[in-house]
Amino acid sequence: MTDAVALRPARTIPLSAALVLIPLAAAIVGLVIRYLAYAATVDDASLASFADGLCRWDCSWYVHLAEVGYDGFPTPKLSNGGNWAFFPLYPLIVGVLIKLTALPTMVVATATSIALSIGAVRIAWPLLGKNLLAYTLFAVFLLAGPFSIYFTTFYTEVLFLFLTVCVFAALKDRRYLLAGLFAAGLSATRIVGVFIVFAILIEAWLDHRERGGTFRDFIPAVFRRPELLLSFALAPLGLFAYMAFLHFKMGDALAFQHVQRAWGRPFGLPPAFVWNALLSAPKEGFIPTASQVLGATTILGYVLSIVLLWKRRFGMAAYSLVAITLPLFAGMASMLRFVSGLAPMPLMLCELLGKNRIVFAVALLLMLVGAWYGTVGWLTQYLALV
Amino acid sequence: MTQPLRRPFALAAYALTAMLLASYALVMWWTIHPTVPPNYRAYYIDQTTTCMNQPVPGTYTLGTIVSYLPDGANAAKPTKPCGWEGPTGDGTHAVGTSSRLRFAWSEPTTAALTLSLDMIAISKAGTPMPQSVDVVVNEQKLATLKVGADAPNHFDVAIPAGLVTEGRADVVLEFPDAVQMGPTDPATRWRSIKLLAAGLLPA
Repeated sequence: MTDAVALRPARTIPLSAALVLIPLAAAIVGLVIRYLAYAATVDDASLASFADGLCRWDCSWYVHLAEVGYDGFPTPKLSNGGNWAFFPLYPLIVGVLIKLTALPTMVVATATSIALSIGAVRIAWPLLGKNLLAYTLFAVFLLAGPFSIYFTTFYTEVLFLFLTVCVFAALKDRRYLLAGLFAAGLSATRIVGVFIVFAILIEAWLDHRERGGTFRDFIPAVFRRPELLLSFALAPLGLFAYMAFLHFKMGDALAFQHVQRAWGRPFGLPPAFVWNALLSAPKEGFIPTASQVLGATTILGYVLSIVLLWKRRFGMAAYSLVAITLPLFAGMASMLRFVSGLAPMPLMLCELLGKNRIVFAVALLLMLVGAWYGTVGWLTQYLALV
Repeated sequence: MTQPLRRPFALAAYALTAMLLASYALVMWWTIHPTVPPNYRAYYIDQTTTCMNQPVPGTYTLGTIVSYLPDGANAAKPTKPCGWEGPTGDGTHAVGTSSRLRFAWSEPTTAALTLSLDMIAISKAGTPMPQSVDVVVNEQKLATLKVGADAPNHFDVAIPAGLVTEGRADVVLEFPDAVQMGPTDPATRWRSIKLLAAGLLPA
């Protein structure tokens, strides 16, 4: 009997049904918790205003993108910060669904995000070692956890996580072409998505080694496998398609990068940013500052990456290290969102927490309680959550 | 484990890979040859200015003073192309190494005018940071002002007759002594002065 099987709780329903019911239940519980937190925090809260009420910060940019599309230059509000900073795939999907359903944008976005989260959980089953406790925690993390706001409103994190899970699930089965297609979507969702190509490359190398290949004959072997070659070529398709669009729309294929200047982000070395964030102690009391929370989250991200390396999941580890480190060159902003939305992070965390029933129970309880505080923090503009 | 692709599919995969790589090369070519307006290039690409010259109308009545405190926010808004933040209670804050004002009016003008400016320099951690401000009107430098931080400073800058005959004054305030407030603040966030009031008056 494997450990994974041993850790499965006694069941009276088929596994296939349980794998669907668990994320569904988490989705319902998450909606209830977030609504109660919303009702307790916002004046004149109502069910009708719930979806719109949780749309804060960058969410409004995505709503505009889904409803109107990309602005030209100069922007209608004569702002330096153009919406071409935001990658197109998720707003495009929601925009199409709005047209098809004629429902309010945030209702469509909320439903789509929840559906993608449920899909991500189900697809992640083999990536979680087929451990039902880890699977449950992953479902709760996405749908009813402290950061469930990111995965159930209108942020690109949910599509980014969904596609990342799809890529790694495809790579686990050595289905490179499928992985390449999902990777193409990933690179149209967030800029760091393009670096998933390193994970595909590493998995291809490991596959090559398993077949008895050597370093010297790796490149010829790749050229002899057209599906692998095409997978590599497909991975950045989303990014290049968006760049081509920007060229025709703005005359600047790198507009998404150039516009970052308008946000006045600093530029520096990641260790310095993390160190300064950790030292940013509160002026009074012991509650960590937002900077310290961001710093601690970043450290946790690196620790989980090292655990991934230790567990020989080299593709996930390499991708995580790149996806955590690159945004750090522009400071600590949004690191909590970036780390929690980076699929290998919650996957690894939930796998670790799901190894023991007591730890599982404590983690489950903390996540559910965290959903309340996460929502209240979101609505009261707690900066670490942005 | 996936099976090797059959020959027709393999050929199609090679062809598609080649097409993708060729199209990526084309996009890369576009990245190094942007076709954008000069203002866009200066701010976003070359980064030769921190002030993105936005096409605000500059709506203004000649001979009036515009308040850049909160009470004048509506009147001031169309006169601020770039480089300003606020207004807050103590004025409209200049951000970056230069800021622009635009005044556009319909009244005929042939005589010389005076640019009236009320400003105060910023303080950093309680320390006054006096500022030099170069005043450029319609691309002609007219004055260098020394702005203190202890109390608001009033300046009258003479604008020669003939410089603003088109009914429009594009005023650039350049801040060579702008201050980096935080250790990692980019130049677009540097601080210099707070503008309290400005206007064009008969000389």
